[in-house]
Amino acid sequence: MFIHLQKKGFLTAFSAPLLLIIMSLLLSGCAGNKAIDGDPSSIEISDSKAIDDPFLVELSESDPYEEINRKIFKFNEGVDKYIANPLSEAYLYITPRFVRTSIANFFNNLKDINVVINDVLQGKLQQGMEDSGRFLLNTTAGFAGIIDVATEVGLERHEEDFAQTLAVWGTPKGPYLVLPLLGPSTSRGIPGSIFDTAANPATYVGAPIQLIQMLNARSNAKGALKFIDEAALDPYVFIRESFLQHRKHLVTDGNSEITDDVMALEDDFYDDDELLDEVDITKTKVDKVMEKQEVEIPTLQPG
Amino acid sequence: MGKEIILNCLKNYGFLLGLLIFFSAINNAVAIAESKQTKEATEKSTAEATEKSTARQVVRDFQLKLLDVMKKGTILGFQGSYSQLEPAIVKSHDLTKIVRIVVGKEWNILSEKQKTTLNDVFNRLSISAYAFNFKEYSGESFEYQSEDKTARGGIIVHTLLKLPKDKDVKLDYMLKKKGESWRIINIIANGVSDLALKRSEYTSILKRDGFEALIAKINEKIDNYAKR
Repeated sequence: MFIHLQKKGFLTAFSAPLLLIIMSLLLSGCAGNKAIDGDPSSIEISDSKAIDDPFLVELSESDPYEEINRKIFKFNEGVDKYIANPLSEAYLYITPRFVRTSIANFFNNLKDINVVINDVLQGKLQQGMEDSGRFLLNTTAGFAGIIDVATEVGLERHEEDFAQTLAVWGTPKGPYLVLPLLGPSTSRGIPGSIFDTAANPATYVGAPIQLIQMLNARSNAKGALKFIDEAALDPYVFIRESFLQHRKHLVTDGNSEITDDVMALEDDFYDDDELLDEVDITKTKVDKVMEKQEVEIPTLQPG
Repeated sequence: MGKEIILNCLKNYGFLLGLLIFFSAINNAVAIAESKQTKEATEKSTAEATEKSTARQVVRDFQLKLLDVMKKGTILGFQGSYSQLEPAIVKSHDLTKIVRIVVGKEWNILSEKQKTTLNDVFNRLSISAYAFNFKEYSGESFEYQSEDKTARGGIIVHTLLKLPKDKDVKLDYMLKKKGESWRIINIIANGVSDLALKRSEYTSILKRDGFEALIAKINEKIDNYAKR
């Protein structure tokens, strides 16, 4: 059901590098600092019920600016509906699929330089070698990257970026942010994006090339966007949750999400069992305290 | 002389025979003891293994049913897929428990009538979503990877969804025992937990817009799916 989600396209649908630099410079000043300092007064807990539910507290912690975020989200939706979507429909009409795949491959190949840099920064030397091999192979045998030969021979594309590197280095995720035109991010994602943009050769080529990249990405994300539209009861929450979870998955390279998830879930079963057998109340209470302490062990945060 | 030899031989033979019987008896005893031990051990481990394999079987049966419906998707249409999938989903998932987790603490505030309504629309939404999203087949397959036990007695079955033209999708099914059978209560796709995602949505809507709005939104989704 969530096949489309991982295609990440919808997350970067608007990631025109030029805009990105400007916007992130503007925003990192105000949003970034606050987040890393972890200003606790910004966390609003509306009623006492929220305190009882560890889940709700967690929610407001990861999204303290929900009201502003929702407004920007609405704005982005409008831009997408009236500008990006019509443009992308036209683009889809005039370009055959293989052209769009080739263009996506070309830009992904340029991104692989940044992947290698971040492999090294995260100490993943083996993967760095593989990704260098990928880049060299695709740049030569793949005609400057338009054919993804490397995947065919078993060198799969890795997703690494500077926000993940920052996470590996221990930078906290900070609050969830929706950036105008750029979409979902976190305060850690902003310096991340600046670095990634600077490390991408496509940044230095000029606006028309970036426009093509943007349009191509938006068009290829059509399926994912349609899926969200069909499945989401509340698109804002749906995108926020899948973004944060997907980022976490990337940061941990898919290794820790199961245990984390199970812990949170089992807390629930616990609640469930408590409701079902109220006889053994004392025992359950002790267990519950212990379980909560267990849950609070800090883990890597999504980027 | 010859007699002696024969007697001697017989003696030796008897001795050997005795020895043989003696050893084989010991051997047998040891073997019996050993087999008893191993039997106990295997009984214990098979009990665990059966639990695991039943959980695995539940996931496998469900995935096979999905593939089957996908292959017949174009002929079945939405309603056809829906009625084919309904029993399979109800059998393999613990939908009541899922709803309860998804709604969180708000569950206790709901009236009996609201609980029934929510259970009903949630079931229909879950089945509709499957019927809508698995409508055609283009070479996908599922592959079993491994399974883990969780601290509180759940089982996670790790599988891969193999896509012909794309990277494999990691699908992890989390199961809990309900009575005698194992039931799916969560699916984690490439690290994105369906249950956590739904829970965020449902609690957020309940908090912001209330129960009636939630039901209205779910019904709207069901209607859209049915227009496939």
